[in-house]
Amino acid sequence: MNDNILEIENLHVRFSTFDGLFSAVNNVSLNLGYNESIGIIGESGCGKSTLAFTVMRYLATNAQVEGAIRFKGINLLENSEKEMESVRGNRIAMVFQNPYSSLNPSLTIGFQLDEVGMHHQKLSKSQARIATIEALEMMNLGDPKGIVRRYPHQVSGGIQQRICIAMALLCKPDLMILDEPTTALDVTTEAVILDSIAELRDTLKMSMIYISHDIGVINKVSENIVVMYSGEIVESGPKKQIFENPVHPYTRALINCMPRGGVVKEKTKLNTIAGYVKRRGVDEGGCPFADRCDKKNDTCISKYGTKKIGEHHYAACDRAYAEDIPDKLKVRITPIARKKDPDFDSERDLLKVEDLHKIYGNKRKVYAVNGIEFSVKPHSILGIVGESGCGKSTTGHMISGLFPPSKGRIIFGDTDISIGWNKRDKETLKNIQLIFQNPGRSLNPSHTVEKIIGRTMQKLANINNAKERREKIIDILRKVDLGKEYLEKKPRQLSGGEQQRVAIARSLSISPSLIVCDEPTSALDVSVQASVLNLLNDLQVDTHVAYLFISHDLNVINYLSDYIMVMYAGKIAEYGKRDEVMENSHHPYTEALLSAVPEVDPTKQKDIIELEGMLPDPAKKIKGCPFAGRCHKQVGEICVKEYPPMVQLTEDHYYFCHIKP
Amino acid sequence: MKYFFYQLKKSPLAMVGIAIIVFWLIAAFAGPSMISFTHTEMDSMNQMVAPGEYGHVLGTDSLGRDILSRIVYGSRSILTVALLTSIFSTVVGILLGFSAGYFGGRLDTAFLRGMDILMAIPPLVLSMVILGILGDSSIASLTIIVSIAFVPATARVSRGVLLTEKSQEYVSAARIRGENHLYIMFVEILPNTMGPIIVEATARFAYSIMMVASLGFLGVGLQPPTPDWGMMVIENKPIIAQAPWAVLFPALAIASLVIAISIFSDFVSKVLIHER
Repeated sequence: MNDNILEIENLHVRFSTFDGLFSAVNNVSLNLGYNESIGIIGESGCGKSTLAFTVMRYLATNAQVEGAIRFKGINLLENSEKEMESVRGNRIAMVFQNPYSSLNPSLTIGFQLDEVGMHHQKLSKSQARIATIEALEMMNLGDPKGIVRRYPHQVSGGIQQRICIAMALLCKPDLMILDEPTTALDVTTEAVILDSIAELRDTLKMSMIYISHDIGVINKVSENIVVMYSGEIVESGPKKQIFENPVHPYTRALINCMPRGGVVKEKTKLNTIAGYVKRRGVDEGGCPFADRCDKKNDTCISKYGTKKIGEHHYAACDRAYAEDIPDKLKVRITPIARKKDPDFDSERDLLKVEDLHKIYGNKRKVYAVNGIEFSVKPHSILGIVGESGCGKSTTGHMISGLFPPSKGRIIFGDTDISIGWNKRDKETLKNIQLIFQNPGRSLNPSHTVEKIIGRTMQKLANINNAKERREKIIDILRKVDLGKEYLEKKPRQLSGGEQQRVAIARSLSISPSLIVCDEPTSALDVSVQASVLNLLNDLQVDTHVAYLFISHDLNVINYLSDYIMVMYAGKIAEYGKRDEVMENSHHPYTEALLSAVPEVDPTKQKDIIELEGMLPDPAKKIKGCPFAGRCHKQVGEICVKEYPPMVQLTEDHYYFCHIKP
Repeated sequence: MKYFFYQLKKSPLAMVGIAIIVFWLIAAFAGPSMISFTHTEMDSMNQMVAPGEYGHVLGTDSLGRDILSRIVYGSRSILTVALLTSIFSTVVGILLGFSAGYFGGRLDTAFLRGMDILMAIPPLVLSMVILGILGDSSIASLTIIVSIAFVPATARVSRGVLLTEKSQEYVSAARIRGENHLYIMFVEILPNTMGPIIVEATARFAYSIMMVASLGFLGVGLQPPTPDWGMMVIENKPIIAQAPWAVLFPALAIASLVIAISIFSDFVSKVLIHER
């Protein structure tokens, strides 16, 4: 009984809302031993965070909780608010997803951290400060004495999150709950934080619950994985077993729908999961995944319950190991035939960018894009990858005409289009389309799908007959796998994936020759991301449109692109054909980026190149290499003083660095 | 709409508010025909009659006029002015606020300073001065003047909601398909800003009732023989000791309507926040 620090027994959490009672966590039982770590994965809406909040007793007033949560043998659900106070933040600490909103912007970091020690351990002010600095040192933050005097906005997001973790560590808690702590951060920062979390577990001997939607991230910090779907645990076990022998169809689908390292569009079509996570009513029984599962049959509702698969490995599915239905999901590779297009290797560039600059602001200048040159070949996909603030979105927005460049030229076909939208002619507006990151915001919430797509057709393709337009809209909707019934719907009535499909349909409806995709999948769940990527790929094969695909996710870029351009601080770091960049990368930043991507396969752990420091201040003009300050291969003074030369490896592959190949 | 009634069921306060508003609407429409006295009829035999006596439900004033009839009749003019005022000030506010916020730059600065100047003068004082100079206090002039006094507030609210919507990506999407400014402002943005604007308009409704009553109280509001609640209060002030009802009931009328509309306005804003 006493080997477990946390025992959750038959936990139910229900919320009563305007639409009725619905179940957020359903019959969850979970044990966590001392010094153990479990990772919870699942898509958004699966109850991961609700479970964490229930343990902390941070639930809204319309929640009804049943079951037991025993922390060191004490049922937390029976504790009074006062008793909870001595547990919360003291024995159990929690780190939230967004560090910007979990730190108070008007208090210094030191003050906020000192409060924890003063409140829980009744330390004096000076004792608390010593503890604070110790905790910050544990998170490998250089200069903790300087940091305590600063305000949250004066440090970067990665450091803020490390401060939040340090805050959680202050009382040396027995259990730490981390709710997607790295989701809002860049991969290189994420890699550093995951590393320090793993280290801390060893030194402090604490238990941990790590919540994420990314299996790769979980692999780095936990041995055991719990897969949640629609409020229930569908599978749990050691990470190796879960990865090598996933039993529940949902686990399989989830693992397979992620574009992993080395998976490319020519060889593989990503697996998708039809539909989306639905809210569950209280009375619904049976397997929650049944309506999206392609192996379901009649017994899914009656014969449902947790089964032991192997040692410590449990799954809640009867069908998965049924022999009567062939396992479609095991067939991971379904090659797509790429139509050979005579123009594909055309010499003429579709889009050419020369010495492009964007400087924001008048008095305090921000150098967002600092002179880049590249070209997009017709019918190809150029992927631009880089961390936030590297200027990739700004580049995309200038090309699509949201604002004109400060300097330099954008040439589309034969026309110079280095001008804003209000000066561009109709033909250019039609030929270059933009798909935004957040479909919920890029579709007008007050307009119907028909109006959203129809207006673009009317405006740019001159289809003025409403009937003709309607037919074309139905046609284009079918292409993005949406039915006629969507015509009258408003964006709010659609799921995120459906919204993005409508946005794609809008762009495609007027047959453009270039679509700028600005992180079109980063606001979506992995299963939806897979279907959107498949769709974008299929449409590209069919219509020969070119994409400028902007993303921070190297696996997505690798999956979809023909060419890859790596950007750093408004400059190009490396450019080349996909395989050249991925397999033969030369720029140290590309190497670091590649190494930082979390690996889904737990057996393939690689060495991470840890990047310390921050992006250079965008308000300063950089003379030398922008990456010099963080580079692990820096050769010396020359890196800081002189801008690196372009090194041409092959006709299409070049990079900017002082290190010669 | 379904959510509106769901919330309404849970909020007895909002129900009371709506009931009071409905009561006054019925009073304004059908009231005068249901009362046996007219609002100008002077019953010289029955001056300062207490409520309930001689068939005067709320009593009479010093001239023997039926208080109930005057209140009911007065609700017509006050509701008309308030309704028109809230519509006019909202429409003008949207036009001004949207153009300033949308185009920004110098136009916006000029707009903001102009509104600051108007706001620096209390709306009541402003209306009083203009009405005093004009010397005309018909329903039309009252509506226009109170509307002008309210425009700074509605224009600022419109500008504020436009600014948050303007940065949304659907506006960018409209731009790069070559829409003109008017289309973007009124077809793309306007429908998404209706929530806060409606809330402001209902709040303005309550304010303009206060304003009309205050102007009447100060003697520059609607002129006799049109009965006005504010004017009734001041008219009967000299007899407050002998006939307190003559002051009390018109005051209660003003208070009940203003409070009811404020409650309604709060409730609407709560419902609309959920809709977003």
